[in-house]
Amino acid sequence: MNDAVEAVKALAIGFATTFKHLFRKPITEEYPEYKRPLPARSRARIILTRDPDGAERCVACYLCSAVCPVSCISMQSAENEDGRRYAQWFRINFARCIYCGLCEEACPTSAIQLTPEFENCENDILALVYEKKNLLVDHQGKDKEYNYYKYAGVATEVGKKGEHVKEERPVNIKSNLP
Amino acid sequence: MLNWIVGFTILIVKLGVVLLVLLLLAAYLVWLERKFLARLQIRYGPNRAGKFGLLQPIADTIKMLTKEDIVPAAADRFIFLLAPAVVATTALMMFAVVPFGSHLTLWGRQIPLVITDLNVGLLYVFALSSLGVYGVAMGGWASNSKYSLLGGIRGAAQMISYELALGLSLVPVVMLAGSFSIVDIVNAQAKYPFIIVQPFAFVIFMISAMAESKRIPFDLPEAENELGAGYHTEYSGIRFGLFFLGEYVHLQILGALVAVLFLGGWRGPILPPPVWLFMKMIFVALIMIWVRGTLPRLRYDQLMALGWKVLIPLALVNIMVTGAILLI
Amino acid sequence: MPTIIIDDREIEVAPGTKVIEAAEQLGIMIPRFCYHPALGSVGACRVCAVKFLQGPFKGVQMSCMVDAQDDMVVSTTDKEAVAFRKYVIECLMLHHPHDCPVCDAGGHCLLQDMTVSGGHGIRRYLGKKRTYPDQYLGPLIQHEMNRCIHCYRCSRFYQDFGGYHDLGAMQSANQTYFGRFEEGILESPFSGNLIDICPTGVYTDKPSRYFGRRWDYERSPSLCINCSLGCQTVVSCRYRKVVRQEARLSESVNGHFICDRGRYGFFYNSLAQRPRSCIVDDQTTSVDQALAAVKQKLETFADKDRAQAVACAGSTRNSLETLAMVKHVCQTNRWQPPAYFEDAAATYKLKSAISRLEPDLTVSLREIESADFIAVLGADPLNEAPMLALALRQAQRKGATVAVFDPRPIFLPFEFKHLPANLDMIQTDLGALLNAALEPAALKKLDGSAREFYASLATVKQISAARQAEIVALAELLKASQRPIIVCGTEMVRRQTPALAADYALLMQAAGKSVGLFYVMPGANGFAAGLLADEDVSVETLIAGIEKGSIKMLILVESNPLWQFPDRHRLEQALQQLEVLVVMDYINSEVAQKADIFLPTTTLYETGGVYVNQEGRAQGVKPAYQGGIPIAQTGHGDHPPRVYGTEIPGAEPQAAWQLLAHLIGTGQPLTAEDLRAEIWQWLAKIDSGFKALPCVADIQPQGARFFQAPHAAERFLRERPIGGADNDGQLEVMAVEMTFGTEELSADSACLKALAGSPVIFMYSSDAKQLNLTDGDRVSVELNGGAVEARLQVTANMAAGMLIIPRHKDLDWQKMNTDKTFVHKDQIRKLKD
Repeated sequence: MNDAVEAVKALAIGFATTFKHLFRKPITEEYPEYKRPLPARSRARIILTRDPDGAERCVACYLCSAVCPVSCISMQSAENEDGRRYAQWFRINFARCIYCGLCEEACPTSAIQLTPEFENCENDILALVYEKKNLLVDHQGKDKEYNYYKYAGVATEVGKKGEHVKEERPVNIKSNLP
Repeated sequence: MLNWIVGFTILIVKLGVVLLVLLLLAAYLVWLERKFLARLQIRYGPNRAGKFGLLQPIADTIKMLTKEDIVPAAADRFIFLLAPAVVATTALMMFAVVPFGSHLTLWGRQIPLVITDLNVGLLYVFALSSLGVYGVAMGGWASNSKYSLLGGIRGAAQMISYELALGLSLVPVVMLAGSFSIVDIVNAQAKYPFIIVQPFAFVIFMISAMAESKRIPFDLPEAENELGAGYHTEYSGIRFGLFFLGEYVHLQILGALVAVLFLGGWRGPILPPPVWLFMKMIFVALIMIWVRGTLPRLRYDQLMALGWKVLIPLALVNIMVTGAILLI
Repeated sequence: MPTIIIDDREIEVAPGTKVIEAAEQLGIMIPRFCYHPALGSVGACRVCAVKFLQGPFKGVQMSCMVDAQDDMVVSTTDKEAVAFRKYVIECLMLHHPHDCPVCDAGGHCLLQDMTVSGGHGIRRYLGKKRTYPDQYLGPLIQHEMNRCIHCYRCSRFYQDFGGYHDLGAMQSANQTYFGRFEEGILESPFSGNLIDICPTGVYTDKPSRYFGRRWDYERSPSLCINCSLGCQTVVSCRYRKVVRQEARLSESVNGHFICDRGRYGFFYNSLAQRPRSCIVDDQTTSVDQALAAVKQKLETFADKDRAQAVACAGSTRNSLETLAMVKHVCQTNRWQPPAYFEDAAATYKLKSAISRLEPDLTVSLREIESADFIAVLGADPLNEAPMLALALRQAQRKGATVAVFDPRPIFLPFEFKHLPANLDMIQTDLGALLNAALEPAALKKLDGSAREFYASLATVKQISAARQAEIVALAELLKASQRPIIVCGTEMVRRQTPALAADYALLMQAAGKSVGLFYVMPGANGFAAGLLADEDVSVETLIAGIEKGSIKMLILVESNPLWQFPDRHRLEQALQQLEVLVVMDYINSEVAQKADIFLPTTTLYETGGVYVNQEGRAQGVKPAYQGGIPIAQTGHGDHPPRVYGTEIPGAEPQAAWQLLAHLIGTGQPLTAEDLRAEIWQWLAKIDSGFKALPCVADIQPQGARFFQAPHAAERFLRERPIGGADNDGQLEVMAVEMTFGTEELSADSACLKALAGSPVIFMYSSDAKQLNLTDGDRVSVELNGGAVEARLQVTANMAAGMLIIPRHKDLDWQKMNTDKTFVHKDQIRKLKD
């Protein structure tokens, strides 16, 4: 009997709650009229950032394309004159992208970043295929500091062997001194 | 002969009007449900197509009519095409015995405001309601999809189970009215509506009616998050629309039946009888939407337990008590 | 047979098996960096540590250094061992740079795998990292020493296994360095294997540098068709381009390694100038139209008598399907029989070699490694079939003696006996060696012809005094040998030499030795071409036919006589005399540019095919990718084109055998599968040996070996030349193959250009002295068809009276006669620099 009373009480509370909602102002934000300011880390349109020295951060390591669950990233890596690895072309098919942010998580150089800018619908689906020139921006995005080549240890214009962060001078290979 | 032709014309006109009102009402019932449900959940509901989203049902209809009608390659084509028609037709036909006023006098002719006053009206309603189950079962089976099949099986089992409770809950009403004719039942409520003397029957009927029309919390045959859309997973376009229509016509019928059987039907002061019936139907529909907005879906075993272990015994007890009181 | 328990599972292994190998047999992969099945154990990296719970000794030990013994109980998952391995990885990672994203090994790096699977994610070491300078190691290998973990695999392969010494360990202790003393191109033609064996990214592939990741490549088993050995490879494709080729483990052919010619010989496949569309009279057309044009031309030759005016030539780079189809088309249409080889002698030598390969004589490349005496007759392993040199090196490491009877300046990466003599003398020398080595007692059992043959062998006294002593010394070694092998070339040698080599082998077999016979053949499919070829037909006879006017139309199927034929002038004249020249090929060869009708064909990587290597091992491969123009070319270096579509641009080429099928009859063209099945039926009719050949889908990874149908091949030849006449002050000219630069397909690989170097002509030192020439002089040699100019290399390491000219791409050597060519000494002039 107690159970039945409890049940009826619970039902009554439920019905009362929904009934009260009838007289509340809806909490819906009506989108095109009101645009809510999004947090910096919300995930929408993808950009390729530059390091603080202004060089492209992307080294075309293929980690983002590997981790992408919908395979919407494709690129071709190549080597430029000073030994840096870079993306000869870099393409994101936003018609396929699900904005999961795994690419950003996988990126070892903070190059690929998601931005809160989400209004990028197009009628022509081909217009959603972004090339490198559409993706590359002139700032550092959320990571203001990092310059991958200062730590990588490979010789580029950022530094020769032994000139990077926490590196000793190169070994003299023709000596037998320890 | 002339008499026969005039009678026939009147019948056709009545049919046309009732059908038109029913279909229009079904469309706007959808709008009402979406709007009311939204407010229950502190939302706005449809508000883009027309003022207050009033053109939404029209937009939906156009969409449904123009969408591609897909028949899966593995489906049993004939049954697949037949099933939605069965659901929609049975639902529409049930309204034939519901009176929406006493009668109208036009050019000296008395026109009863009911399409046909069957003396076994209630049984006719139950019969069609049972036929509606076939639509669900056929749709589920013919789709040749596991989700549809599960939905169809659930639908059939649930509707057959609740039909019992539905029928039994109305036995006291019939006992009180002394007739299966719905017109007679309405007339028997001239003094007071039966809800006052039969509150238990009312509650049992309401619950069973919601289960019969597969509405939340009894929407196991559809169960979007378990079965896709259950028995109509594979349907699209206008055929899906027919299922949809059937469902909302069903909602109206049940609203009308509740009004007719328990709330005194078209009887009411001041306003004309059809308006009273309409208001009572909407009231019942609103309550059902409120229930939908509040309660979560039952588990399948809970659904069955509720039907067989609670509602049916309760209905039987109600019959006995009513019988005893009538005898005394 | 010791029985050992590893991780609670028992296994019986052969004595001498290391614990790490026993575990592998159980399917347990113990981590390893320095251990390699081909290089053995050194215990340098310490990462294969396991715990020995019971047995002769207990505690954590290196599983690659311990032989499996009875009563041993080993745990690979013991806490102590796991912790040990984890710390080892951490130590190896102390100085490892943070450059995986820009390292080409990333994705197939053993160190990366072990670091991740061992759970070492955070660097605890806060000190500075050691760095190394990098070296330029040539066009094939990129050096990045910072990544090194000092497993010594590279120096063990390069020096111990490969026999070259210009790369190795330097410095000491924590600063040990692997590289060359001075920067420069690596000398070893097997250096590409460093990429495969390096457990991390110290040596990475330079031609495919920064192209992609292993996980993105379409990888499939493939074959090397750059020489007759048929080494097994794995080919990687991406963006419609063959990117990289690696060695595939084959227990019967190449083992774990391949040579650089094979590894980098695939670039012809994706060249921008590769022909992709049909050309009829300088107009680009569709395949259907081009075929219609060919058929229209053929109609002129439709009747019986005129059909003989049509000829067709294949080559040894044809797949078996194409070879068979060429023959079948010629037979059905009553054309001239097909030519596969340059001259009649080549056909004869190959046919005689094939007929003499018998099941109990033939050895595979891997079996050479277990021989104890190897006589190489008229073959230059490193230049003709590089992997043969590596196999000989393994035999030599195990104590075998290698004696090379060849006039050329032979170099092999190990100690061997070279007995240079002219092409007639080398076989006499080998006969004398056998004569001296075989004991008469053992030969008493010989039957008539064998005894006669033995009696006719030259004696040591009959041969040049200069080589007598060496041959006597070798005879002692051969006498003691249990498993001698004769390796015989078929290209440079005299007509009888291949048969003679088989006779020598049979003689040794009769004398109770377990003998092996191994031929080196020209081209990847020389065996099959030889089996299908008609004895007296060759490109030379076709040319003669054209000159006579009896051949009016020539169809060249993946064949480029202009590359190989020694008399270019005559060939060009003949081609001009033709009414119609049809060429089907996948490379933009010189002859393709002269064609009236050109039809592009597909490569091995696009349609697969069966190739029969020189021991009769048929190996089939499936297509590696779908074909089409590489995306890099369609996108002009930038992004791929922004269009939708399912069509692959440039995918019109069909397999040559499919194109040829259209030239027979009027029937409905068959599907590739059905056509293959039919081809197999024709093959069985041509030679019943082909009956042993399973259909393509059923060929196992190790290949299917088959032999020519048993027939009464004449054993123990009676006629054979002994000795060699003096050439009257003339020098015999030999156009020879080099490792790089003379093979047609690999010649298109840009990265191998630097290795091919510039051509040099070799001359014996005393000949040079007579002519007053010194090493490094520029000389002009007046051949029949004009002068050939190149730098001279004078060496004492070759036969006198010979002039060795490489068939180098950059040298117009094709000015010779098709027969033996001699030059008078006064036809050699010194040029001013």
